[in-house]
Amino acid sequence: MNKIRVWDWPVRIGHWLLVGAFALAWITGESEEWRLVHAFAGGTVVGVVLFRLLWGVFGTRHARFSSFVRGPGAVLDYVSGLFRREESQYAGHNAAGGWAILALLSLGLLAGASGWLVYQDIGGEWLEEVHEALASGMLAVALLHVGGVVVSSLAHRENLVQAMFTGLKQGRPDEAISSTRPLAVVLLLGWVAVCAWWLAR
Amino acid sequence: MKIVIAVLTVLCAASAQAATPAELLAGYRTEAAQQAAGFQPSAQRGAEFHARRFGVSAKLSSCASCHTDAPAQAGRHVVTDKSIKPLAPAANAERFTDPAKVEKWFKRNCTEVVGRECNPAEKADYIAFLTGGR
Repeated sequence: MNKIRVWDWPVRIGHWLLVGAFALAWITGESEEWRLVHAFAGGTVVGVVLFRLLWGVFGTRHARFSSFVRGPGAVLDYVSGLFRREESQYAGHNAAGGWAILALLSLGLLAGASGWLVYQDIGGEWLEEVHEALASGMLAVALLHVGGVVVSSLAHRENLVQAMFTGLKQGRPDEAISSTRPLAVVLLLGWVAVCAWWLAR
Repeated sequence: MKIVIAVLTVLCAASAQAATPAELLAGYRTEAAQQAAGFQPSAQRGAEFHARRFGVSAKLSSCASCHTDAPAQAGRHVVTDKSIKPLAPAANAERFTDPAKVEKWFKRNCTEVVGRECNPAEKADYIAFLTGGR
């Protein structure tokens, strides 16, 4: 199989922006001196997630939810295939990775929403505990996701981390995307900046 | 829906272990007395602690940086400029009624402002100061 274009620019930039923003929000979470940075980072997470939800409908082929959200049967098939070191059936997200994406987007949105309410002094200590639990859940899923990426990379003998930088993956030519949509990145960054600024007020 | 209500009830019950500032003060006093026999909380020492500039954090050099010199009044976060409800229970009845919340915020704020966790004696003095020595 050849390397084909699979991940468009908004998917890749959005992915690494989410990684950076969540990591920054996590390490500044307990500090008052870094509270403003924490709120900006959280606003960035929310901005990326909201953009990704729209991109999951209007984005390129492998970015669409309809192309990678599959039932539990497909997840089990994929995971059992990993142990046999089968070649991946998926040019885009595999069935297990699809669920990691849904979980991370949901947790990112909920953690961001609860964090914003706490920042506005709404909801009190109870909501703050909820916010922390959601963020911890997101970290747990992110680590699970990284673990899955490592296992899948080894099983399929393909560097999936590198693919999230280059956008290139193994696949059939007819599975490639025709455009990587670089101009949509301007939209993504503008929207994220507005979100981060507005949510950190 | 029933499950949601049950979960919320449990969470609320767990998060709101009601206590009074006096009970919390008594608890820290007992702890402090175990470390130094004859310890008595002092509102005066608590006031000095509140105003002391520890110099660990440039922006948050003292408790008063955010909670102001008058803890019966609303404070202001020096970094975000957001309003902080008064620390003194006389002005804000919710303060020092949830032991878990009190421990969490002593730990967070002491680590950042004092540069270490506060000890039971400091906590007892501080609550004595905020409750007016009562």
